[in-house]
Amino acid sequence: MSASRTDELHGAALPSRSFSFGDLVRRRPETITFLLLVAICVGVAIANPAFLQPSTLIDIGRASVVMGLFALGVFIILAAGGIDVSFTAIAAFTMYSMTVLVQSYLPGLPIVVVILMATLGGAALGIINGLLVHHLKVPSLIVTIGTQYLFRGFLLSFIGTVWIMSLPPQMGAFGRMPLVQFEAANGALITLPFYFLVLPVAAFVTWWILNRTLMGRAIFAVGGNADIASRLGYSLRTVHVFLFGYAGALAGLAGIIHVCANRQANPFDLVGTEINVIAAVVLGGARITGGTGTVLGTLLGVLLIVVLNSVLVMVGIPSTWQRLVVGSFILLAAAFFVTRQRKK
Amino acid sequence: MAAQAHSAQQSAALLELRNIQKWFGGVHALRGIDLTLQPGEAYHLLGENGCGKSTVIKIMSGAHAPTSGEIVLGGETFSSLTPIQSLAAGIETVYQDLSLLPNLTVAENVALNEQLVDANGRLARLFDRKRLKETAERALATAGLPTGRAFLNTIVSDLPLAARQLVAIARAIATRAKLVIMDEPTTSLTRREVDNLIRVVERLRSENVAVLFVTHKLDECYRIGGHAVVFRDGQCVAQGPIANYSKKQLAELMTGRSIDAQRYRTGRPSDTELLRVERLAADGVREMSFSVRKGEILGITGLADSGRNELAMALTGVAPATGGTVMLDGRAVSVRSPGEAIAQGIGYVPEDRLAEGLFLDKSIFENKIALIVSRLANALGVVDREEGRRIAARLSEEMRLNTRDLDLPVGALSGGNQQRVLIGRWLSIAPKLLVLHGPTVGVDVGSKDTIYRVIQALAEAGMGLVIVSDDLPELLQNADRILVMNGGRAVAEMDAEQATEDQLYKAMLATTTETVQ
Repeated sequence: MSASRTDELHGAALPSRSFSFGDLVRRRPETITFLLLVAICVGVAIANPAFLQPSTLIDIGRASVVMGLFALGVFIILAAGGIDVSFTAIAAFTMYSMTVLVQSYLPGLPIVVVILMATLGGAALGIINGLLVHHLKVPSLIVTIGTQYLFRGFLLSFIGTVWIMSLPPQMGAFGRMPLVQFEAANGALITLPFYFLVLPVAAFVTWWILNRTLMGRAIFAVGGNADIASRLGYSLRTVHVFLFGYAGALAGLAGIIHVCANRQANPFDLVGTEINVIAAVVLGGARITGGTGTVLGTLLGVLLIVVLNSVLVMVGIPSTWQRLVVGSFILLAAAFFVTRQRKK
Repeated sequence: MAAQAHSAQQSAALLELRNIQKWFGGVHALRGIDLTLQPGEAYHLLGENGCGKSTVIKIMSGAHAPTSGEIVLGGETFSSLTPIQSLAAGIETVYQDLSLLPNLTVAENVALNEQLVDANGRLARLFDRKRLKETAERALATAGLPTGRAFLNTIVSDLPLAARQLVAIARAIATRAKLVIMDEPTTSLTRREVDNLIRVVERLRSENVAVLFVTHKLDECYRIGGHAVVFRDGQCVAQGPIANYSKKQLAELMTGRSIDAQRYRTGRPSDTELLRVERLAADGVREMSFSVRKGEILGITGLADSGRNELAMALTGVAPATGGTVMLDGRAVSVRSPGEAIAQGIGYVPEDRLAEGLFLDKSIFENKIALIVSRLANALGVVDREEGRRIAARLSEEMRLNTRDLDLPVGALSGGNQQRVLIGRWLSIAPKLLVLHGPTVGVDVGSKDTIYRVIQALAEAGMGLVIVSDDLPELLQNADRILVMNGGRAVAEMDAEQATEDQLYKAMLATTTETVQ
């Protein structure tokens, strides 16, 4: 009798051994993101070969950093079944406060310390989110809508509303510091900035935490079902505090890089771009209901949105069309994932 | 075995509860529980829904802290346990909902907790993938599951329910468990799967592991043997070897009143035919033909894969039929969706009331009137809530609902009461035919009694009823006729008054290739 049961289960497990496309997509939904990305790149490259110039690719890489850091934070919270919309406010808060601090009070502060302080500041604000989510037992969407207003309101009321056009020199220098520099055919100097490195490093750290530590497994466990996870002995408080703290740290880091790269600090900046980031993460295959997704998928989702934003112009589509295209992609991808899931 | 346990009473107990009290707000859920569990013994925690069984196992597993009292575990006295303390002491729980994480793999579900417990719940630790695989393979083999890589990496939500049940059991035995608590482990299992579970339990006991069952199925308790522990209203009313108690005694201890295990069916069906099904085909159902008269109760049973579930869903439009005709009152009707079925006068009480039947966070009142909202609405679409409340109150009384408060969310009710709300809802539209699918799954003795009486009253009033169930005594007690399905077809039809459980069971297995022990 137990033999027949075992056979039955072996049979049930079999389909996952043969590699059909549908199965691949179900297990790794980011395959679709990747194919979409390749299709767009090929299409654009045919329509306008200028797309393949190194300068375009480097522009795309540069533009991915801030959004990529945000997206990693959003992804890790989504993996645990939560959602965060306050990260842009955290980034704006830390970047502007740090710029004011360095410019007015501590002009000699080394850039490493500036970056570290921004990251820690972001983590502190994130931990506030985590504690509120845990102790108020209110959905994280509501909590972070509240804290987004709080952080931003505090910034504009007490820290300042002045647009800082001339950055402290060490911050400007960091933004210009080259990683790779070469001369293009037309003689223009093309630079891949040093700060680009932050994204792959952050992505690797995030991947490592999620896949190689108990905390990472706990995050997915909570995303699968928080009640069950707590019954099994996972501390929800630790997970919540870590999650939001980590996402906050990434947001703080993203904020300071944003300032250095743009060579100006605008306190009204960033807030309002949350949906774009969340869209990127969802396009990368993470389910909005939590518990799934990969770091690679998240990066592909970011790349997809950045490429769309920067190449539509190159093939002669007005930039106002970006939203139409991004919106249709989200709906298409979502519909595709859902039908695949139903088909199994 | 029982005598042995008695003589060992003085030796080191595995777990001891001393005068445990638990209050939930104003509700006194446990009123001084004293309970001692010995290694290698089987215990059956019996009682009606809401008697405190779940609370007591949650206190043992660390999910709840008692209001007062002591827990003695491994010679140490605690006022409450955390989940990690409980797991570290070797107390493993297989919850009724299985408590599997749907998005993780089989291996992670089975073996991750070992590492969490070893890290004492701290999460800033590397996770050992090699050890995960080894532990998972060992535990899955013990539970009779495959240990191949493909199965280890299968996401749990992709598994069928019975396999999930075994995965949950594999997790409980993955570590050096000393006590395995199983909360209604057999509710969703077929007889064959129950046999398998009983073998796993015997193995555990031979390794000196204690097993605590929470169950409503007394037959299984007798088969497993060991100690009965009976709870009523938060108190332990009886403890002792289960062989010393008859079924009737246990039922009386649980409910505090005498429960009649006789046939409930009193009425007679009329001669008018209500439903005629001709060559009905659906996924898993092959050309079923049968009829139901007005006021008749037809029982349908079979193994889990016999097509009985699919038949119920085809009749009620949940999973529409692919062929054949359904005649109601002599007229061919089409049931392509539950909405059409309702419009034709066919009601359906689904098996999985939590997932399919109830709006758990809505109130009793809102659940009751869900089906007649359109009838209560006036020309402008505004719902007459007062009329709705009157109807809901009347239905609650008819169903002898254990609560006066119509505004309570249904999720706060016990399983038996939830089922009564669900059946009560159908009374609001007074269907011609009511299909009940496992009407007393996970329901206690007292609620069963009420539900059976309501079923009989409905038949009395001329409604036709179809009960699809694998609870054979239930069908024998309630139905006029019983159809046995096998391989998508009806293989036997019996008069419920004359049939026996044995005959039914033989017919269920008759043509299948599997061997019966």
